[in-house]
Amino acid sequence: MSPTAKTRIKRFTPLQRLFHLLLMLAFLTQSATGLARMYGQTPWGHNLGALFGGYDAARTVHIYVGIFMISGMAVHALYMLFKINWRGFPGSLFGPDSLLPRPADIKHFFQHIGWFLGFSQPPEFDRWGYWEKFDYWAVFWGITIIGITGLIMAFPYFSTRYMPGWGLNVAFWIHRIEALLAMGHLFIIHFFIAHLRRHNFPMDHTMFEGSADLEAARHERPAWISRLRQGGELDGVLVSEAMPLQRVLGYVFGFAAVAAGLFLLIGALVNVRYISW
Amino acid sequence: MKKKTAIRAVLFLCAALLVAGIMLLPPPAAAQDEVTSAIRRYKDREVSTGYYEEYEVKPRRESPFVEIPGVRRGIFRYSPAAAKVRIRTRLADSHQGIKFYDNRRCEECHIEQTRDLHTVRANLTCRQCHGGEPIASNAHYYSPMNPIRRHAYVCAKCHEGSSASYAGYVVHEPNPALASTFKNFPVLAVAFWVMVAIAVGTFVLFLPHTVLWGIRELFMKKENKTSESDSQDKD
Repeated sequence: MSPTAKTRIKRFTPLQRLFHLLLMLAFLTQSATGLARMYGQTPWGHNLGALFGGYDAARTVHIYVGIFMISGMAVHALYMLFKINWRGFPGSLFGPDSLLPRPADIKHFFQHIGWFLGFSQPPEFDRWGYWEKFDYWAVFWGITIIGITGLIMAFPYFSTRYMPGWGLNVAFWIHRIEALLAMGHLFIIHFFIAHLRRHNFPMDHTMFEGSADLEAARHERPAWISRLRQGGELDGVLVSEAMPLQRVLGYVFGFAAVAAGLFLLIGALVNVRYISW
Repeated sequence: MKKKTAIRAVLFLCAALLVAGIMLLPPPAAAQDEVTSAIRRYKDREVSTGYYEEYEVKPRRESPFVEIPGVRRGIFRYSPAAAKVRIRTRLADSHQGIKFYDNRRCEECHIEQTRDLHTVRANLTCRQCHGGEPIASNAHYYSPMNPIRRHAYVCAKCHEGSSASYAGYVVHEPNPALASTFKNFPVLAVAFWVMVAIAVGTFVLFLPHTVLWGIRELFMKKENKTSESDSQDKD
């Protein structure tokens, strides 16, 4: 097959990939610094914190990167406002290209479960699967909860002007549980579905390359491909493979991120019994 | 004979000097106010940090004048039985009357209070916040721990600029998972269980989903992509 053959379908814009890249780097940094603080009593947590300059410095990094994430979410919210098709509003919000949940997602979820168990045919997904929509909105809910509680704790003198000091206790536990949920979801569920299941193994580099393999998309998202074909838009979104160097970089970077996430997950699970909650 | 007498005299002199020396030495450390044992007190923590000992002093031995509004006023006698029933929230010496108090460690009774972040992560000792003996009850009017001055007398030692509101942070936070926390810190207990429900709900939904998906794809027949795409392109 010629390297210029259009065998891939455009899925993400460069700006969307940049958002994902920054989120990925920031999330891994927050996970590492947060776990370094939480596991500071153990050698594992101690060494993890040393990467960032120690127990206290890890907190400083955690706060600055956290503020960066909150800012990133605000910028992304503005970006969303620009991306909305205001002429077709509000119907455009519930179209197949929108990430907003719609009733078909619930139907797809149960049909998918039926397919897992051998009861039914796999659902014909459109551009976004229900699990991708969940991942997308989970980031919003996660950053909102973790961000607000994090800011409360990062600026305690200011925040306790407007709330009692015991609010810091409450904020701490909300922050901690939500962060553990986010890490567990990302490092187990997102990593497995996006990269480690057979369909995508060893890595789905769509997010790094911007385009998905047409064959794979045709197999997993037939409704999307047939919609584009019927609308005569398919040829316009077909692209050729990225340069080999870009693909290699995508693989190296992606594998490094997955390895870092699994290292944090396994380290946290192994050492969990040695820490004081 | 003279030789034996001389040896006895030397031995007697040595014994006398030894006795005199022992009498002239300072009394054994156990009799001083400083707690002496680096092994019994805080055990491994003591060895690891080394700075607990200097804050440890035994309680004073007087019977302080205490006043409990509506309960009792006057000199309290030391009494183990009375100690069990005394209301300790407003005492000048909150540990007054506790049996063998001077030989006990804080954590023998306050074990839960040694497991919070200030103790475990910041390595604070009890004395660094609660001060030396006698430790007044938190609600005693002159206690540094009284909420009217805690922020300035205690918290501000490390948290410069802390306010009275800031000092409302619960240092000895109850375990949020316990049922008793619904009574003594209900907001924390509710927040904790709501968050746990969200987290558990997410995992209960998506973990089996992920596992089933992985297994299903593992045993899926490999499809002939070329023939499939060709047939679709012909549509």
